[in-house]
Amino acid sequence: MTLRTLFVKIFLCFWLAAALLIVSLNVMLWVSTSSEPNPEKRRGAFGEALNLYAESAVQVYDREGRQAFGQYVDRSRKDAGTEIDLFDGKGDPIAGPSSPDTAKVAQEIQQSGEHVSHLTSLGRLTWGRPVIAPSGKSYIFVTRLRQPYVPRQLPLTGVIFTILASGLIAFLLARYLTSPVKKLQTAVQSFAAGNLAARVTPELGNRKDELAELGREFDHMAERIQALINSQKRLLADISHELRSPLARLSVALELARKNSNEKAEPALDRIEKEGERLNKLVGQLLALTRLESGAEKISSETVMLEDLVQQIVDDANYEAKPLHKEVIVTQLQACRVIGSPELLRSAIENVIRNAVRYTPAAAEVEVCLQWKLDTAELTVTDHGPGVPESELKNIFQPFYRVSEARERSSGGAGLGLSIADRTVKLHGGTIEASNTESGLRVTIHLPLAPNHRPPDADSSHAAFSPASLASG
Amino acid sequence: MLGQSSAKIREKMIPILIIDDDVELTKLLEEYLQGEQFELTAAHDGPGGLEKALSNTYSVVVLDVMLPGMSGLDVLKQLRQKSSAPVLMLTARGSELDRILGLELGADDYLAKPFNPRELVARLRAILRRTNNAPSAAAPIHIADLELHPESRSVTCGGKPVTLTGAEFDLLYTFLRSPGKIISREDLTQAALGRPMSPMDRSIDVHVSNLRRKLGTYDGNHERIKAIRGSGYIYLLPGEQP
Repeated sequence: MTLRTLFVKIFLCFWLAAALLIVSLNVMLWVSTSSEPNPEKRRGAFGEALNLYAESAVQVYDREGRQAFGQYVDRSRKDAGTEIDLFDGKGDPIAGPSSPDTAKVAQEIQQSGEHVSHLTSLGRLTWGRPVIAPSGKSYIFVTRLRQPYVPRQLPLTGVIFTILASGLIAFLLARYLTSPVKKLQTAVQSFAAGNLAARVTPELGNRKDELAELGREFDHMAERIQALINSQKRLLADISHELRSPLARLSVALELARKNSNEKAEPALDRIEKEGERLNKLVGQLLALTRLESGAEKISSETVMLEDLVQQIVDDANYEAKPLHKEVIVTQLQACRVIGSPELLRSAIENVIRNAVRYTPAAAEVEVCLQWKLDTAELTVTDHGPGVPESELKNIFQPFYRVSEARERSSGGAGLGLSIADRTVKLHGGTIEASNTESGLRVTIHLPLAPNHRPPDADSSHAAFSPASLASG
Repeated sequence: MLGQSSAKIREKMIPILIIDDDVELTKLLEEYLQGEQFELTAAHDGPGGLEKALSNTYSVVVLDVMLPGMSGLDVLKQLRQKSSAPVLMLTARGSELDRILGLELGADDYLAKPFNPRELVARLRAILRRTNNAPSAAAPIHIADLELHPESRSVTCGGKPVTLTGAEFDLLYTFLRSPGKIISREDLTQAALGRPMSPMDRSIDVHVSNLRRKLGTYDGNHERIKAIRGSGYIYLLPGEQP
């Protein structure tokens, strides 16, 4: 999971916000309480209580004697955790001192005659004042309170715990918000990959928020696209059938006409036949192109031996090129295995080679070279034709594109062959590009190699194919 | 005079069944094929065509793959369960899958639609030439675990009978008559399909791959029939490498 995912973003943002809030609240609280350590100044009631406490303790000692005071001190320690020390007017201890702090405070009071309070490092308040008993004797009262008021230290464990808890909440919140997005993404990916039945609403359960709304909108869209693609597929099949049926009848009627006509009609009938074939080829190419572009074509994933395919296509092309005194030669043919549809790849490569044959002048050659580099198969087809203007090189893969109207007409191309090659190669995850060489046009096709593209070594297969192993079989 | 000659023609007429839903096309074909000594009967849907084809009164069945109701491939599948009548398939151009499926289901040859009727006649004649070959009295051929009996047109592999279509049998017979020698795809097409190979014609490769599949490999991992790039195919003798 990268830092860029929505989940991580939401999770981190919420957690950070919560953590900042918790820390700043605690700091504010800490600052406000620790900036004024003197409780009597801060809160009059607290100071009054301490005064009362001091007076009552002194009265107990003064009236009821040392023993009762001892019980009073014990009770205070037990019930409130408060230490009480009592000194006489000269600062000599009567009860206590319970700690060096109290002795020090008593000394300070004896010297100043004022009440004194100290905040020790442990957060305990040591407080004392001189008290005149009703009997007229003067005493010094010092007390150490266990936890006199709100914490003055940052409660680290508490803060960490709250931050962790807020982290859990942020995690759950982020998951709640992003899980429908994830489901939507899965559905969209599956839809884009060709599963037109992919829907997201059943995955979202009873959610009724904006994301569920989005999911429903996606489903509506998916439904429409599915209907459109299905109707396009049907339309393609219908067009194919409806356009070809008259062509099939035409060709039979033509042959009947030939039988019943004299020689004079031959050139015209030949022409009708040729145009019929051209129309038929064009229909085929248009359908192929539409199918490729609509995504209606499902690519099979067979392992294709590209070298065999290329050799077969070259053989076939020579069959047609030889009568025109042209030749297709193979300069290099390395074994290349690619994954894809052999039929689509065949038609793509065939279109490129035929195009090259068309533009190569008589008595010239078309060079075909197949080799692999790293993880791609590279097929180059070079002709000795006039080439294509540099600025037009990218356009030759557009449907019905013509470099020169007149020349293309005379050579009889429909202008769809290279478009079909382009779409097919792209569907197979490859690239196709054209460049000019000194001799003519070069079309280069790159196709990703199959993981197992290297054929078994000829030597090792020979060794394995032993007569002994066959004799038993 | 006219009646006499037409009667004479009818005598030589070869009965052909076409299963195609295009009524106008079948009418035109009927007229055209009449001049070529074929008597065409047409059926316009799958079940009707199948019924007629099963009557075994036709020399060749021409079957369109695109049929309303029952697909041509289904008709072929059902026909092959009961009859070995030669079948020529009509497929849509560019639909390789139909073609390969059809040949695998036991069609003898195919023709892409729209077709030139002269080509249709040539294909029909090729099929007829092959099927009319009188059972050969040639001696059986044994190579390793394979036995081929020309007189009964039967093949056994490892003692088990192998069911081959007519084209596949002729193909294997051609291979076994010159084992260990490279035979060009043109020669194989001529021998197995009875017609010259046309450019972009892959039917021989489909037949070869069907044959490979049906015969299996030597010893589980060595191909019996190997493709030689740019040349053709070779039937390997056991323990042999080209």
